[in-house]
Amino acid sequence: MIEAQVLVIGAGPAGLAAAIEASRAGLAVTVVEQRETIGGAIYRQAVLGAPATYQPPAVRARWRRLVHDFAGCGITVRHGSVFLGIDGDGLAIVENRGTGHVEPVAAKAVIIAVGAIEKVLPRPGWNKAGVSTVGGLQIMMKETGRAPEGRILLAGSGPLLIAVAAQMARLGNAPVAVVEAGDPFRHPLTGGGLLAYPTLLAEALFYLKDVWLRGIPWLRATTVAGIEAGADGLVATLHDYTGTERRVAVDRIGLHDGIRPNDFGLSTPPGTSPVVVTAGDCREALGAVAAEADGRRAALSVIRLLQQREEVGTTAALRRERNAQGLLSELFAPVSARPLLSGLTDDTVLCRCENRTVGDLKALCGKEDPLSGREVKHNGRFAMGACQGRFCAENTARLMAELRQDAPAPSAVDLTGRRWPIRPVPIGALVCASDDTSKQE
Amino acid sequence: MPVSTPATAVIVGSGIVGAATAYFLTQHGVKVTLLDAVAPAAEATGAADGAVSVASKRPGPMMTAALSGVALYRELAATGLFSDIFKSRSTFIVAASNEECEVLHAHAAALAGAGVRVELLAAADVRQRFSALSTQARLVVEVHDEGHAIGYQIVHRFLTAAGVTVRRASPVRSILTGDGRCAAGVVTQDGEIRADIVIVAAGNGSAELLRLENVLTPRKGQLLVTERAPALNASMPGSIMSGRYLLSKGSQKGGVTVPRGLGLVIDPLRTGQFLIGGTREDHGSRQTNDLDAVGRILRHAVALVPKLASVRLLRSFAGLRTAVVDGLPLVGRIPGYENAFVATGFEGDGICLGPVVGRALASLACGAEPAIDLRPFAPSRFADHGVVA
Amino acid sequence: MTGRFFDWNGSAIPFREGETIAAALTGAGILHLGDDSVGSEARYFCGIGACQNCLVRVNGAIREACLTRAVAGLSVACVERRDHD
Repeated sequence: MIEAQVLVIGAGPAGLAAAIEASRAGLAVTVVEQRETIGGAIYRQAVLGAPATYQPPAVRARWRRLVHDFAGCGITVRHGSVFLGIDGDGLAIVENRGTGHVEPVAAKAVIIAVGAIEKVLPRPGWNKAGVSTVGGLQIMMKETGRAPEGRILLAGSGPLLIAVAAQMARLGNAPVAVVEAGDPFRHPLTGGGLLAYPTLLAEALFYLKDVWLRGIPWLRATTVAGIEAGADGLVATLHDYTGTERRVAVDRIGLHDGIRPNDFGLSTPPGTSPVVVTAGDCREALGAVAAEADGRRAALSVIRLLQQREEVGTTAALRRERNAQGLLSELFAPVSARPLLSGLTDDTVLCRCENRTVGDLKALCGKEDPLSGREVKHNGRFAMGACQGRFCAENTARLMAELRQDAPAPSAVDLTGRRWPIRPVPIGALVCASDDTSKQE
Repeated sequence: MPVSTPATAVIVGSGIVGAATAYFLTQHGVKVTLLDAVAPAAEATGAADGAVSVASKRPGPMMTAALSGVALYRELAATGLFSDIFKSRSTFIVAASNEECEVLHAHAAALAGAGVRVELLAAADVRQRFSALSTQARLVVEVHDEGHAIGYQIVHRFLTAAGVTVRRASPVRSILTGDGRCAAGVVTQDGEIRADIVIVAAGNGSAELLRLENVLTPRKGQLLVTERAPALNASMPGSIMSGRYLLSKGSQKGGVTVPRGLGLVIDPLRTGQFLIGGTREDHGSRQTNDLDAVGRILRHAVALVPKLASVRLLRSFAGLRTAVVDGLPLVGRIPGYENAFVATGFEGDGICLGPVVGRALASLACGAEPAIDLRPFAPSRFADHGVVA
Repeated sequence: MTGRFFDWNGSAIPFREGETIAAALTGAGILHLGDDSVGSEARYFCGIGACQNCLVRVNGAIREACLTRAVAGLSVACVERRDHD
């Protein structure tokens, strides 16, 4: 059993900021992080000898400051440690990948800062090898200092596509095109609103100028309607807003339709101990700047509870980032207002882990009796697989709502539930887990 | 007495018992209204281990009922209703200690005496027939002709076949009393629902509805599901039940209970996954799983099937079974009513017994002779408790 | 190349110190990491351990290729290979 005053889960910006704040208040902090490095996905650093990925100066400065402050606190980081959840007795359950053992942690407070995941809408063929998330391509690029090789298509929606296109180009392999469901040019007034957020605007222009200068096609109001295996790689079918269809042969495809909190399976233990607080993108997905502010907020609320101090609000910073993200969402809103279902063939895979299709969902939801989310999960196996619904629960819930407008719309959590382990864990690691063998069997 | 078939029925609870009763009443031509406080299979049925089994039973009314329960599953699998959702397999009871061997020898003899096909496997047979089993297994008894079914799939199948629409999120407040010793229907938050007969199959929810708080008691169970491990799964010819399960079940008799009993069952599922259970706990929330229980279940599981150590645990869950203080379920007419019935309190046997009890209850409600003897389960044994019209 | 390799289904895959197995396999042009037990193509996808699409056997244990650092001499294989032993 490990004991900790404050246990912080995740060493991204929210976790690091929370750890720094709690440590400065005199609390003993332990950070667990699944990787061997800190920084999270946003601040993933290159391996030794690899070139750093192209990022705006403000981003690099934020990272330098964070890493400097964190180093100054002398906080223990347990690397290679995967958080599995908090059990019914209030123990934080952590899988140590190094030892292969599960370690229960008795903490006074747990700050969960496990970040965001990318949203990927279902499209025929999205489940094929060679298709990744755009963030996945970016993380690997940051780690290796190499752009993904071959002909790359980036598709979906949002500013991340532009950033990754620019970063790829700087590393010597620009994508063949960026396919964007929205069209920011149709929202000049909203775009003007970004003037109130100069850092964000500077970041956007920083990447956009590279895309323009290098002539990377930015196909707005366009979607990837399907992906097939080609003679040599993949073939993406693009639909633009006029209904024109064209096909592009590529080697790899990155998809990204926004981000959402990685809050799957998280639950608050029944008792009052430990204090459990979520922070950063896993509470509200607003990006790195907000995550830092939210990490501090989480730490302050823990400090207040553990040390009976006054709470200091940092909500203004969050509000600002929320407004900025709201503007971006409007700018990048998909131009086509068609229901998601209309573009999906029955054989489109919806839940990749269990290989369940749109047709399977239609068959379940087509009966007279409209099923609840949990019944769809049980009887259709949606969200029952290894990703525990992270990449299909929200899409399934959305399609259920489209299929059954007569029934209450389900939410992703109806399909995913709230139980540990929030990640699959080898049974052998759990068998070695606790030191409670002395208890009565 | 309702000697003729009623025209309408209202059923409270769409777990396996309510769903089965709805299905069989529909077969009798009864128009069924099915209510659930939450949704189908939302409680114990959706968190059950799914054993369709007599292996742990001692001779007596529960074994007799369980034998009929298994037979009905086989029949419904053969006729098509359950063909793809009932897995026929043996149960292998494994003894790993002297104490367990002793209990298991006696138990096997009792099962054989009741007409159950059992086979004692010596160590060499075990290695041949069940190579995944640890050498800790000192005595193995194969109980033939058993099976496994997943509760929520059975419920879904019954409801789909019956064509019944469930009124979800409709908790029932009380039974609506009519003339004389007759129930007129039920009262819900949205008003009265009238019917010729009333059936309460509401699991733990039955306690408050029928004022049986002193008779019915929730008993938590924690269960685990692994990822697919096709090769290991295929190498297991049936489920494993630890001989300790018999000891654990024994401890429940005569009102003597341990706060947390463990009875290990490892079931290879049709998907290639494993279902591993479970606990019997007198306290605890169905919302939670704890490392103490999960770790103990898995240590025991790996001791019997060492290769499970490299399989990943995918999910844990928990449910609250409904137990009756005297260890027998509650099935039959509700004291004081001619036309209201209850079926609950199956504890860990709901999946095995749900369909056969549903069929018997439908017969009873329609004035026909039930195919199983329900007298040992008669609610009248608690007539001094609970609701009386 | 620094002379560091791990084994992927019988082939030697080079990697740089600190790289994940997923990065090394991708660098070697390997995008399809085998088919899993429901027939889905295993592949690098989210990069953060969330999607479970890049599962491989690392010295027999099921691991996310995107989270697991490459180490010289590791035996890395498709998940299903060992299952059908």
